[in-house]
Amino acid sequence: MSTRSRSNLYLGLFCLGFALLLLFVWIPLDTDTGWIEKVRRQVTIGDSLAPSVAGIFLLVGGIILILIERSARDQPKLTGGNLRFIGSVLLILFISFAIMRYCGPLLVSATNIFTGETLEYRLLRDTVPWKYAGYFPGGIVLISGLISLIEGRLTARSVVISAVAVVVLIAIYDLPFDDLLLPPNGDV
Amino acid sequence: MGVLDYIWLGILSVFQGPELFSIFGLPVSVTLVMILCGFLLGIAVGATPGLAGPIAMAIALPILISVFGYTQEALLPVMGFLIGIMKGATIGGAVPAILFNTPGTPDAYMTTLDGYPMTQKGQAKKALRVAHFSSASGDTFSDIVLIVCAPFLALLVEAYLDLPEKTALLILSLSFIAAVVGGSPAKGLISTGLGLLAVYVATGEDFYPRLSLGTKQLSQGFPIATAVLGVLIIGSVFKGLEELWHEKRKSGGIAMIRDSGDQRLHFADIRRLLPFIARSAVIGTAIGALPGIGSTLAATLGYTIGKSRYQRRKAKDDPDFGTGVPEGIAATEAANSSVSGANLIPVLSLGIPGNAAAVFLILAAESIGGFNPGPSVFRFTADVVNPELVVAFGLFTAMLIANGLNWTIGGFFMRSMGIMTRIPKHILLPIVLLLTLTAIYVQETRMEAIWFALAFGVLGYLMRSLSISPLPFVIAFILGGKLEESARQAFAATGGDAFFLFTNPIALVFMLMSVGVIVFTAVKSKGAT
Repeated sequence: MSTRSRSNLYLGLFCLGFALLLLFVWIPLDTDTGWIEKVRRQVTIGDSLAPSVAGIFLLVGGIILILIERSARDQPKLTGGNLRFIGSVLLILFISFAIMRYCGPLLVSATNIFTGETLEYRLLRDTVPWKYAGYFPGGIVLISGLISLIEGRLTARSVVISAVAVVVLIAIYDLPFDDLLLPPNGDV
Repeated sequence: MGVLDYIWLGILSVFQGPELFSIFGLPVSVTLVMILCGFLLGIAVGATPGLAGPIAMAIALPILISVFGYTQEALLPVMGFLIGIMKGATIGGAVPAILFNTPGTPDAYMTTLDGYPMTQKGQAKKALRVAHFSSASGDTFSDIVLIVCAPFLALLVEAYLDLPEKTALLILSLSFIAAVVGGSPAKGLISTGLGLLAVYVATGEDFYPRLSLGTKQLSQGFPIATAVLGVLIIGSVFKGLEELWHEKRKSGGIAMIRDSGDQRLHFADIRRLLPFIARSAVIGTAIGALPGIGSTLAATLGYTIGKSRYQRRKAKDDPDFGTGVPEGIAATEAANSSVSGANLIPVLSLGIPGNAAAVFLILAAESIGGFNPGPSVFRFTADVVNPELVVAFGLFTAMLIANGLNWTIGGFFMRSMGIMTRIPKHILLPIVLLLTLTAIYVQETRMEAIWFALAFGVLGYLMRSLSISPLPFVIAFILGGKLEESARQAFAATGGDAFFLFTNPIALVFMLMSVGVIVFTAVKSKGAT
């Protein structure tokens, strides 16, 4: 019995639907001018034309997938395994960047409690060691988290490797330059 | 200013640029040092499975711009470094392919077919020497073709193509890339459409940033670094991690094989290899000159044609291709290396990037400013100096210097890079991910850029999972703005003629070719099912 994948058909239908939505809903509702506009008695190309060309590329691609490439030999499809993997990666990244973003301000607040001072992270974000307070732990969690995901376990070796790698990255991007800000110091 | 004056100025701009240090009173320019550093880094990166030239270029670019700034003087050191990486990565990719049956770069896959069997026979060093000689030969040939052809092609474009034709040429390039990259024209079109859609968010001429959904986050559009690095690098890292996740790390030590027999490359060997190198160099250069096709196809074609020639002429007892024949390595390496120079023909003469490395060269030029790759570069103005033309000849000089390095120290450095293959990929890829995200942040200095890059990374991952090539996306993202601008100018220049793409004969031919290439490849792909 033939069990040919139908992923091209589904992808084609998705692209067709998305292209129609783009051409007939998103572009008309979210753009100020049409394909061609008359401004001060001069005819010019409006802001809708270029995105419509993008929509036409998607539309034609979807139609060719449905009509011509529906039975193509090589049709890899997205599986639950793919989604579980990318979900796990994104979760690790989200946690890492949350640590990166909030660790510095939290450390400053904690320091204030013990010292009674009223320091602000924003004012300290370009001073050592505060400027690494978010990047260092966040980076370690990111690298060691992904290594652990692949290895299936968290090891001290992966944490040490991550710490060394983050120190090297700091040495590359921060130590030689006064004008570069490591994440998240441009935002806080 | 004549042509020779411009060439001389280009050469001088490399050798007499800002001095870094001097040896015995002889000044050494910073550009020379940067070409050397880029070349050595490129070999190391190419020799490391999981890394590739574009990754190194992506990571290096923000650092280089921080060091050299946004001045005209920064162009040659920065672009020289990137050219060095491009050249080094091409020869470096053969190292793990030959020593450990693991191609360092995708186009080195065919090198494994004869390279690894030679290693198993104890001929590893000889295989590396064959790969280096073939690679350097192909690269040199390709650079000469680039230097001769790019200015002429640019002059032809400037002389015969007006705004409507240039617009049609951009559409033809996008259609061609969509049709030929990845083997599925439909998926190529989808990738191109997504790239165009992404670049058109929050751009345009109206006061309201189009397609921004009324949100503040989208109102500035997507920075080029987030889209290009996201889809190209982060998507590739996600996919690479997933493959490792599925493999569950098939452990097993690397078998130690002792070298045996003569490891040198003799003149007789070279004479035997030259016909294979020459054919593959021509194939690779021809393929490289067409945007988007890439070195993997060149390597495959070079190997296949070399194989058929070898089979016709070999003696009865000679080993077959695929069993450790130096001709197999030569045919592959000459083909994939000769793509790199020729790939810059569409970049410099038309402003159209043909591969990922060319994308980063354009990105560097756009970030620094003062050099807009395209036909206007090659204006041989007699009364005033055209600085862009001087930079173009400076780049040609940089390529030839990188070639010289390839011939002189490249082989030795390449043979010493076997150690890089021992870095575990599952440790390397997460570090590359943080490195890339940090590179994006230091350029944009806002967390939104990281979220955008991750979103584009997921898109790149999904595209790879569905066999959709991300290259048309990236090229469409880069050319999208130019396409719209050119169409607006052509429309205005033709007095508001809505059919400006069809009323001019050359533009009409380009448009028919755009449709033709899609229809032809689609029908052909149907025939193959």
